Amino acid sequence: MNHDLSKLSAIYDRYPRKPQSLIAVLQDIQKEYNFLPCEALKQTAEELNVPLSKVFSVSTFYNAFSLVPKGEKVIRICVGTTCHIRGAKQIQEQLEDELKIKAGQTTEDLQFSLEVVACVGACAMAPVVAVNERYHGNVTVGSCKKLLKKGKKG
Amino acid sequence: MRIENAGQLEQYRRECQARLDKQTRRLLVCCGPGCLANGSQAVSDAFKKVLRNRKIKGFKVEALKETGCHGFCEQGPLVVIEPEGIFYTRVKPAHAEKILEETIAKNKVIDKLLFRDHNNGQPITCYRDIPFYSRQQRIALRNIGQINQCDIDEYIATGGYSGMAKALTQMTPKQVIDEVTASGLRGRGGGGFPAGRKWKTAASAEDTPHYVICNGDEGDPGAFMDRAIMEGDPHSVIEGMIIAAYAVGAHEGYIYVREEYPLAVVNLQKAIEQATEYGLLGENIIGTDFTLELNISRGGGAFVCGESSALMRSVAGEVGEPRAKYVRSVLKGLYDKPTVLNNVESYACVPAIIDKGGKWFASIGTKKSTGTKAFSLVGKVRNTGLIEVPMGTTLREIIYDIGGGIQNDRPFKAVQTGGPSGGCLPEAKLDLPVDFDTLTEAGSMMGSGGMIVLDDQTCVVDLAKYFLAFLVDESCGKCVPCREGLHQLYGMAVAVSEGRATEETLEKMERLSEVVAVGSLCGLGKSGPNPFLSTVKYFRDEYLAHINDKKCPAGVCRELIRFEVIEDKCDGCMACVAACASNAITGQKKEPHVIDQELCNKCGACRTVCRRDAILVL
Amino acid sequence: MISMTINGKVVKAEKGEMLLKVTRREGIDIPALCHHDAVEPFGGCRLCMVEITKADWDGWKNYVTACLYPAEDGLIIQTHSAKVNELRKGVLDLLAARCPNSPEIRELAAEYGVPQTTLEEVPDADNCIMCGLCTRVCERLGFKAISTVGRGHSKQVAPPLNEAPPDCVGCISCAQVCPTNVIPYKDINGKRTIWEKQFELIACKECGKHTITTDFADALCERRAIPRDYFDVCDDCRRKELSLKMGSIVAWSREGTS
Repeated sequence: MNHDLSKLSAIYDRYPRKPQSLIAVLQDIQKEYNFLPCEALKQTAEELNVPLSKVFSVSTFYNAFSLVPKGEKVIRICVGTTCHIRGAKQIQEQLEDELKIKAGQTTEDLQFSLEVVACVGACAMAPVVAVNERYHGNVTVGSCKKLLKKGKKG
Repeated sequence: MRIENAGQLEQYRRECQARLDKQTRRLLVCCGPGCLANGSQAVSDAFKKVLRNRKIKGFKVEALKETGCHGFCEQGPLVVIEPEGIFYTRVKPAHAEKILEETIAKNKVIDKLLFRDHNNGQPITCYRDIPFYSRQQRIALRNIGQINQCDIDEYIATGGYSGMAKALTQMTPKQVIDEVTASGLRGRGGGGFPAGRKWKTAASAEDTPHYVICNGDEGDPGAFMDRAIMEGDPHSVIEGMIIAAYAVGAHEGYIYVREEYPLAVVNLQKAIEQATEYGLLGENIIGTDFTLELNISRGGGAFVCGESSALMRSVAGEVGEPRAKYVRSVLKGLYDKPTVLNNVESYACVPAIIDKGGKWFASIGTKKSTGTKAFSLVGKVRNTGLIEVPMGTTLREIIYDIGGGIQNDRPFKAVQTGGPSGGCLPEAKLDLPVDFDTLTEAGSMMGSGGMIVLDDQTCVVDLAKYFLAFLVDESCGKCVPCREGLHQLYGMAVAVSEGRATEETLEKMERLSEVVAVGSLCGLGKSGPNPFLSTVKYFRDEYLAHINDKKCPAGVCRELIRFEVIEDKCDGCMACVAACASNAITGQKKEPHVIDQELCNKCGACRTVCRRDAILVL
Repeated sequence: MISMTINGKVVKAEKGEMLLKVTRREGIDIPALCHHDAVEPFGGCRLCMVEITKADWDGWKNYVTACLYPAEDGLIIQTHSAKVNELRKGVLDLLAARCPNSPEIRELAAEYGVPQTTLEEVPDADNCIMCGLCTRVCERLGFKAISTVGRGHSKQVAPPLNEAPPDCVGCISCAQVCPTNVIPYKDINGKRTIWEKQFELIACKECGKHTITTDFADALCERRAIPRDYFDVCDDCRRKELSLKMGSIVAWSREGTS
């Protein structure tokens, strides 16, 4: 898969070209491309003077990074403790059912990715589902469909 | 504008206060995480829209403020009208016009938006009279929900940066450390290490440079105090860090923020820019020769990075693996240099300590755990939200007086504190005072402040399994006991929950827990068995019910339960039929429904939606 | 010099040297799978845990890894107390479940009373115990060709992007240092394959024996300013050549003096 890598240089320019900038740079690449393309990892290694092995190690260690393309909308089901005891599992199963993918996967049309996240810090509204950066509180099995519809619209 | 000295800061403060005083009415819309999830942004936008089209007598647009978490998340979206403290709950965008026309313009309180006491149903107008608030004492959360979250002028108006000015212009670094030592402040991240002692060690370390770091990697699932502070009062954290940096001679600092908190990053960044513009941060702070540069370091999504040595490696752009603690990070921390690491809440307390004195802070709380502590009170409690109480307050006071007891008047079962490193305390422990040492002694821990209340419909085996799964996911994988041991413990917890275990399994789990607790390299592994150990200690019978009777008394563990409709109670409303994802429930309107046990996947959705309590768990 | 007590015997040591170094010097056998003198101590396998206390600790005991605990005056150390053996047994039980097919692990586990793991064996497990010695040695040598990938229970050692590692020179230090011999490599017909990357082996000009890879030789020449032709002959032949030279020098000098 070829990706337009021209946006990378702007990302490198935001930070000092030092190994310390690695995580910040990878975060920006992830945000820009919705994943970390292989070529971008190689270029990052050169730009920041970090061994490629370390770039790979870091990009597979942290949850924030993905080496495969993510969907346009990332649905994050909060599975923090409060959400868990208030039925996050049911919500997860319902959304998996609706989207026909498991948590951690992306729909074939690259529209949705489904993820679980350990606490988004909105416990009072548990269970919580975030669609990209927008939070939805007190989600029920019944409201999942609505949520996806809203998500599709944007 | 650049503030050149302490006098100018005071003068500017008076200007800010005067400006605030002119706003005789202030309309505060809570935009904390809970209220945002409930749609408070739309509420705020609705107010703005009305104000664009119409003039409301005696009210200026500037007096509409988007604040951080006001605390009472359960009742959100919240709208507060100051100075009276009129407290509107569950506000919808459609209410905006009415609030402006009635309450702001005509001083009329809208009865149906008020909070109602659950005991007598009486409305309470002012939030300060609601037990949820009246029993709290706020230091770390002093400004949150009170001021516009991204406005440095309001922070200054409420006394902001006066602690810093005092430290930088009237005190030596040693005096600052002495004051913090006298306050008895202990690390709010959960460790409880005395901040003054940490600062003293770092200050006297010969190696240079020194660093200050703020741990904003609030990873405990069920805790959101630090998020609320970083989003709602970022300047208090920055001010605390400047004071710390001055005390230990650091000129460079990092705020490590969890990647799941994008708004915290945005607000902190704004606050850093504002403070730098005012000369309160950066070079020659308020005209002194003290300089501090603060940077934000975004976490990559790894719970283990809450551990100090892992966090420091992550700040340096590396994999967040902890290292052995024989050299303390306060001497060899970031880039192997002396580093002071405190958490968000600790830093937020510091300006108040310098301002009012260590003695004042030490007079609050208990002898060994001074001051106050913020908690996120969540779970099956009636009043969920963000609270702050003096140390030594009992669990019962927190859960019953502030929290209003258990949701739907169900029986209390346990309270979980300390997240995945902590444990569950049963009813018998409810009168324990909440402080660092008492909670640890009881088999749990203070942790960063997540307090999750459990009722009889929460299964402790399921909960232990949940935390173990979390830790297996989050283990960095460096050392054997944590990587392999937690994985094995999780497997055995699953076996218990599925009725495949024997009493020998339980003994094996206890033996293995010892190996993991003693043998692991860092705190994540060392405390990893706690959720299991504390539940098996206080709720052994429940484990045995799973093992011997193949029953889950709380009705949670799917392999051991089945759902049935109680015919007499079912009114045939079809709610469960619609909710069932596996189409296992059939029935006609107004006729009792039936659950097909073959199709049922035991998710419990029917039980959640049933308004008549007609779903029985066996 | 400071003095400590190890298993009841008073022992002198340098302040700050790691306990494992001291115990090894004393000939005490403590298992340690992730330790190698060539690299920084790691503290990953936890097998070298020992019990420490001091006279003024009021009977309180701590359990620390000997590889990462510096010698201190007055330390009282037990390397094989009942509790220590129990902990080691527990860790070995875990390793035996992780790597049920590793002869090295089975042997060590049996020594500590675990002939067979009491835990659930990890299905489809390889013999890697994730001690990280391979990656650390690779880093120490300056190549940094391989690293750990992922985290937690599914953490592995792998080349970047799971492709032939561009920075690998085929020195096979990783394979040689591995305590469970889990990194495969092949030397066939003057070609070496490791991490699915192929290398050319240098054949000795004298005897034809294969020595190191051309990539490794190039890297060494570049870093240590060694002339490239140094690697034309193998160590054995170089020695032979040297001794011949030495022999003629000796012969010549004898002739000269007589």
